[in-house]
Amino acid sequence: MIQELIAFGILGVALLYLGRKFFYKKKKNNDNCGTDCGCG
Amino acid sequence: MSNENINVALIGNPNVGKTSVFNALTGLNQQVGNYPGITVEKKVGFCKLPNHAKANILDLPGTYSLNASSMDENVVIELLLNKNDKLFPDVAVVVTDVENLKRNLLLFTQIKDLEIPVILAINMADRMAYKGISLDISHLEEQLNTKIALISTRKKQGIEELKQLIMSYKNLSTEPCLNASSMDPDYFGGLRKTFPNELVYKLWLVITQDVNFRGIEKKEILSEHRKSDSELKRMQQKETIKRYQFINDVLKVGQTIDKESARDFGTKLDRILTHKVWGYAIFFGILFLIFQSIFSWSEVPMDLIDSAFGWMSTAVQEHMPPGVLTDLISQGIIPGIGGIVIFIPQIAFLFLFISVLEESGYMSRVVFLMDKIMKRFGLSGKSVVPLISGVACAIPAIMATRNIENWKERLITILVTPFTTCSARLPVYTIIISLVIPDERVLGFLNIRGLMLMALYAAGFLMAIFAAYIFNKILKVTSKTYFVVEMPNYKLPLLRNVGINVVEKTKAFVVGAGKIILAISIVLWFLASYGPGDDFNNADKIVTAQISKSDAAVSQQELDGHIASYKLENSYLGIAGKVIEPVIKPLGYDWKIGIAVLSSFAAREVFVGTLATIYSVGETDEQDPIREKMAAERRPDGSKLFDLPTGISLLLFYAFAMQCASTLAIVKKETNSWKWPAIQFAIMSAVAYLAALTAYQFLQ
Repeated sequence: MIQELIAFGILGVALLYLGRKFFYKKKKNNDNCGTDCGCG
Repeated sequence: MSNENINVALIGNPNVGKTSVFNALTGLNQQVGNYPGITVEKKVGFCKLPNHAKANILDLPGTYSLNASSMDENVVIELLLNKNDKLFPDVAVVVTDVENLKRNLLLFTQIKDLEIPVILAINMADRMAYKGISLDISHLEEQLNTKIALISTRKKQGIEELKQLIMSYKNLSTEPCLNASSMDPDYFGGLRKTFPNELVYKLWLVITQDVNFRGIEKKEILSEHRKSDSELKRMQQKETIKRYQFINDVLKVGQTIDKESARDFGTKLDRILTHKVWGYAIFFGILFLIFQSIFSWSEVPMDLIDSAFGWMSTAVQEHMPPGVLTDLISQGIIPGIGGIVIFIPQIAFLFLFISVLEESGYMSRVVFLMDKIMKRFGLSGKSVVPLISGVACAIPAIMATRNIENWKERLITILVTPFTTCSARLPVYTIIISLVIPDERVLGFLNIRGLMLMALYAAGFLMAIFAAYIFNKILKVTSKTYFVVEMPNYKLPLLRNVGINVVEKTKAFVVGAGKIILAISIVLWFLASYGPGDDFNNADKIVTAQISKSDAAVSQQELDGHIASYKLENSYLGIAGKVIEPVIKPLGYDWKIGIAVLSSFAAREVFVGTLATIYSVGETDEQDPIREKMAAERRPDGSKLFDLPTGISLLLFYAFAMQCASTLAIVKKETNSWKWPAIQFAIMSAVAYLAALTAYQFLQ
């Protein structure tokens, strides 16, 4: 039981990480910032 | 200091011999102090000129341009903008180095545009004959609208002529080199209306450099003439491009470099390394040696890592209590991590060679050499830098296209750079090559596997060039282009720099890719270890019943293997693999390879990790290295799965497919549109599929 809990916990963290990596987009914090300034 | 003396400012790039000129002019008449409020050294000297005239010579800090990036450089701009400063120069002497005239003239044109009388002092003139350089002084004087002193502080030549020019500074033209307004006529027209008494180029420097200028501040100008930071940056880039276009036009006639008559070692070496036949032969020879070494040198450490991970899986399985977590660690996480760690030796060797080539100055010669080829395919000479650096990773390579001025050439370079073989393809290539290409040598020393690897790198590069040629024909955009590349001096690579480069880049690859691979390995393991319906849940009973029905004698180990295989086939992952099987079957792939191809659309390097996870699920003998597991895979008819046709098909698929989500994201960012990454993805996937299909059907 404890092994299953930990294993599925690890799965949750992995899914969360992949979601953030490929689908989460950081919000721009500077109105003056263009598309090429590397601050987006 | 007398107010009647002529104020002379010595300005120039670092390392052009400015201080030597200062010493030659002033002798021992020098005062050293600091600029008020800052710890930048201020050196002022006194110089006697002909006809009893006198000059105060100010040695300003070295700067590459008037785009200040340090306190030292700011000192130069602030002085040149403030006419009320008691040190404001009556005349500026821009000191340049005859060997780097092109780069040095950028600063000259900027100072000239401040409408200050400027003398151009070309230093190190004694090296001209040695370097095969000749200058048409009268043409340069006419085009640059100035007077030139050809000097050599080392040989004490030309100093008296320079003094003569300083004395007659009032005869110098203050006409600017460039019309700053041409960068953006509307914007500069507006500035001129608001500040009718000020020079627009000075206002431009205030806006971009944030320096004090007679009470006018950046905020005040921008409040009426607003531009975003990125727009200002674009205009600055446009300014630099215009200046280099002007300098190129001037030097085209004004400077001749005859490499044949040059006598120094670097030039002699250049003559060979950039030779139209030997240059290419040496370049390809070096590449050949690199690929041979990558395979030969990394064999031992790779085997060690492979065995270590196999041992770790077994140890976990033996020492942890049975359960889901134990299986996840031993069959999912450890093989997944092992799938990436094993390639550290090869990636480190690749970066080692690239660093040595860059550090030694050879890479710039390659850029120069390849420019002649690039131009025929509609690419800029500067496209070579992204294409070569793409060998490490396409992301920084695509970002490196920013210095390509022509938008069409830049776009084409962005679109074709991912064809270059990046380091993420290396794990896929090496494992497939080691499976399908025999470890043999031809002529006693040529490793066939090394040759195959080199052929794949060449295929990527050639496809990039071919795609560029096609894009050049399709995309109808025309704009002016030019090529400037500076050849750094040859030097022995610094061990420390090379070491740092290798460690940093390898770490970035392993840590960056490793986290994604680990996460995907975990998800894949769950998808492969769980499945819907009775087929998966009752796999033991179904397989046992099938075997007892066939009356075949099987050992317990064989029975376990059949059950594991049946479970995998009916797991979520197996079902997904079966769905795509009709599409990938003509390429020679089974559903397991299909899963690996599918999962690696996020990142190519995931391919090996995925196979490592798939082949480890349900395995009882964890110590088998991944290569052996792949080599042992059989088709239903008993033939080897990873045979030559399938191997070549896979290699070609990975050579041309766009399997990197991060690269697509960076292409979107650089082109500011989803259109280009979508086109890039579609074209590369189609090319990859067709190449793999043709190879498999032809070789089968």
